[in-house]
Amino acid sequence: MTNPNPLLPLSALGIYFHGVYISLTFGLPVAIGVMLWKWWRTGDRDYYKAARIMTAVLGVNFALGAITGTLVEFGLVQIWPGVNLAIATFAFAPLALELIAFANEIAFLILFIVTLGRVKPPTSIAILALYAAFAYFSGVLITAVNSWMQAPWGVGPVAKTLYPFMPEYGPNVVDVPKLVALKLAAVATGQPISLLIEKPGFAQEVGIVLKDPMVALYSPYALVSIFHNILAAILIGMAVATAGWAYRYFKTGDQKYLKIVKPLAGAFAVLFVIQAPIVAHFMGEVVVHYNPTKFALMEGAETTYHNPIIALVAYGDPNKPIIGFDELEKACMNNTLTVGDLAKALNLPQTLKLAGQSVDISALASVKLSDLCLADLQKAKAYMPLIHTVYYVKVAFAIIGGLAAAVLFFYFYRVPGLSAIASAIAKIFGDERRRVFLLALLLVLGTVIPAVGGWAVREIGRKPWSVYGLLYPSEIVTPVPYASSPGFLAFAYLVILAVSLGGLYAMYLVATREYKFLELLKKGAGVGQ
Amino acid sequence: MNPAVFIGFVGLGLAVTLHVIFVSMTLGTGLLAAWYRWKAYRESDPWAELFARKVFKVLIVSELFSGVWGTIITVFLAGFFTAVTTLATNTLFIPIAIAIASIMIRIPTIAISWYTWGKIHPRTHSLVMWIMALSGFGVPFGFRAIFAEINHPVAVGYYLQTGHNPGFMPYSNPLFWTLYLHTAAAVISTGGFVAASLLALDKDVRGVKAGLLPGVGFLVAQLIFGPLYYFSLDWYSPLLFKAVNGEFLPLLVIKLAAVVALLALGLASYKAARAGAISSYVKWLGPLALFTVALGEILNDGARYPNLVILGDKGLSADLFANLYMDIPMPAVYVILAFLILSIVVFTMAAFYALYRRFIAEVPEV
Repeated sequence: MTNPNPLLPLSALGIYFHGVYISLTFGLPVAIGVMLWKWWRTGDRDYYKAARIMTAVLGVNFALGAITGTLVEFGLVQIWPGVNLAIATFAFAPLALELIAFANEIAFLILFIVTLGRVKPPTSIAILALYAAFAYFSGVLITAVNSWMQAPWGVGPVAKTLYPFMPEYGPNVVDVPKLVALKLAAVATGQPISLLIEKPGFAQEVGIVLKDPMVALYSPYALVSIFHNILAAILIGMAVATAGWAYRYFKTGDQKYLKIVKPLAGAFAVLFVIQAPIVAHFMGEVVVHYNPTKFALMEGAETTYHNPIIALVAYGDPNKPIIGFDELEKACMNNTLTVGDLAKALNLPQTLKLAGQSVDISALASVKLSDLCLADLQKAKAYMPLIHTVYYVKVAFAIIGGLAAAVLFFYFYRVPGLSAIASAIAKIFGDERRRVFLLALLLVLGTVIPAVGGWAVREIGRKPWSVYGLLYPSEIVTPVPYASSPGFLAFAYLVILAVSLGGLYAMYLVATREYKFLELLKKGAGVGQ
Repeated sequence: MNPAVFIGFVGLGLAVTLHVIFVSMTLGTGLLAAWYRWKAYRESDPWAELFARKVFKVLIVSELFSGVWGTIITVFLAGFFTAVTTLATNTLFIPIAIAIASIMIRIPTIAISWYTWGKIHPRTHSLVMWIMALSGFGVPFGFRAIFAEINHPVAVGYYLQTGHNPGFMPYSNPLFWTLYLHTAAAVISTGGFVAASLLALDKDVRGVKAGLLPGVGFLVAQLIFGPLYYFSLDWYSPLLFKAVNGEFLPLLVIKLAAVVALLALGLASYKAARAGAISSYVKWLGPLALFTVALGEILNDGARYPNLVILGDKGLSADLFANLYMDIPMPAVYVILAFLILSIVVFTMAAFYALYRRFIAEVPEV
């Protein structure tokens, strides 16, 4: 069987590059919109030129976002083909709706690029807004799918039966015996699920597994994650745009660049206030409730302990203890059932008939569920030093980003008292060119590092499961041996790195280079002669 | 057939047809643009550079939209036909990896070529353009292997019998090579005709000639690869061959008539262009070539109905591979189809402004 471990970092690399481009795809429209608005209100062509340059960067970035999205999509169906079962059930509605979002996102982006400068600014803003609406809708749907993997909404008590410390994941809209039979068949045969679901006629044999196709769309975990992820992406994109223009100001001292930085910094600060203290807090709350192992990893809670500040933030009650792995293990020990008891309770036969093959699950009958539970907790606990460190680094940089945003905002926008403090702090960074650039750079660090760290906590923190409490990576990985061969891995890393790094460099060229080699083109077009 | 499976089949067919139409335009024009960009650099020919940029506009406008329909195909496949998608990914791992790697190179190099035009050295730019153009042909080199396998499962058959991954075996499928060469020639020819149509609007005789040359030349090549593919279907996928010559015969006749018209009008237009004139019907050759491509794809895929996989003179019904793990909410599917049509309307509007109203500047701005 394919070892999933070498494939996890490969998937993570693809997802991280996708995240880089998606952040710009989400943030640049806001930055471009602000510039178009200013152009419309003032008639100042500098704002139009800034919008045009950022649109060119958006064009290259969008292409990279689309292909890394394709990579992630193919990565899912090719490297993790067991996920196809989720695509055919829980993820069907979000992914089908995503088609609307993706197709219209591209159509409106092309329309925006083609018509920019040829139509009036309000029309361009309207087209850009439609593009952004579909882009964000796409983010909503993909986050809903990812959130289902973090908290499999709709499986009700299934995960809790195996892991008593887990909560119920919403209503039970699955055929539990069928779901458990599939899981047991994978465990008994030691084969990935894809080898079952690839058989012609298998779906006919199994029949309805999911009774509510829309269930993934109304998960509270998804709702909070959507706001958290999309705002984070917008903030990163805006921070990069702000820092880019601040750098130009730093290099040239030209006031027109400062004029561009100011409204961008203002819009950034407003969005940051919504993200950091409000949305991030609700995100933490759903993690506490729905991912108990992840929360224990984040807080380094090998054993249960008291910390009134964390308890107040996490539970709203300073007296509650932070639940550690010792408590989770105790919960496991309370489960006295065996796999055989579970199969009996669900009326499963000892020999499952699946896709023309018989799978004997009697060998699993004596396996204690408490042993499975404890073994999985041990696997999760191995990630504690990593997750705990990454989480607190992320929090520290988010605070730095928030302070930088506040200083920059009050530096540009006069508020009695606060602006004086901001100016005093800003002066620490040197003259105006340096202080604007360094503060903008802190915005980048204060958004990128929390996002990178946050995503690592989100994804690694749910291990050892790929679908929290239900499926392991080994159950959904491809059975193809090439996938984890050094040759294929080297090829895949090379393509991803070459394209992604080349793309980033190209975006830098597009943003910074003047046109130098247009003589032939101008001659051909009959201009500039 | 289950209504959800039927809608899945039709939706998949629509997505494949639209995808192939756009891809045909972009692969062919990409090659033409790279060729003339390089020529402009080597020969310091200003007309060639302008021509390359004009032809490249077709790509710039349509490539991402063609990619969207590729994504739609994947979602339709995984969502509606879960078993066949899983079987394909487990079996045809290498062809799919080739296609994905090609997509990963192709799309960014298109955006990079457009936005760095005039900003990096022309030699470097020409190199990027060549990478862009040639990587495009890697995409059908991967995906056409899947089409060949569902018409004549050589590698999949080996996998199902032995349980071993067939590696590069899909490339030993006799249907693959005729299908791939047929596709490659068709897309170059279509790109040429589309370029000729576009340049006819500019009244650029040299441009019309430059488009018609690959258009007509590769259409003549099609006269070899087309019949070769057609007869290889008779040998290796007789059920499909029977359907093409049975209930789909009217479409086949229309396609053949379109090819004959394209060839005759293309030759006449080329002759006129050599004499320095643009015939009045050149502008219709691009749409006619695209119509021919669409008909070819409908014949290749639609004739498989109600089967999804052909095994010689037997077919495996789409129901066998369908997603029956839940009742697919049909109202949601109709809403999705309606919005997809909206996206086509918006895209067409953008393409109209870009290509016919010349909204994209020939010399870059700012």
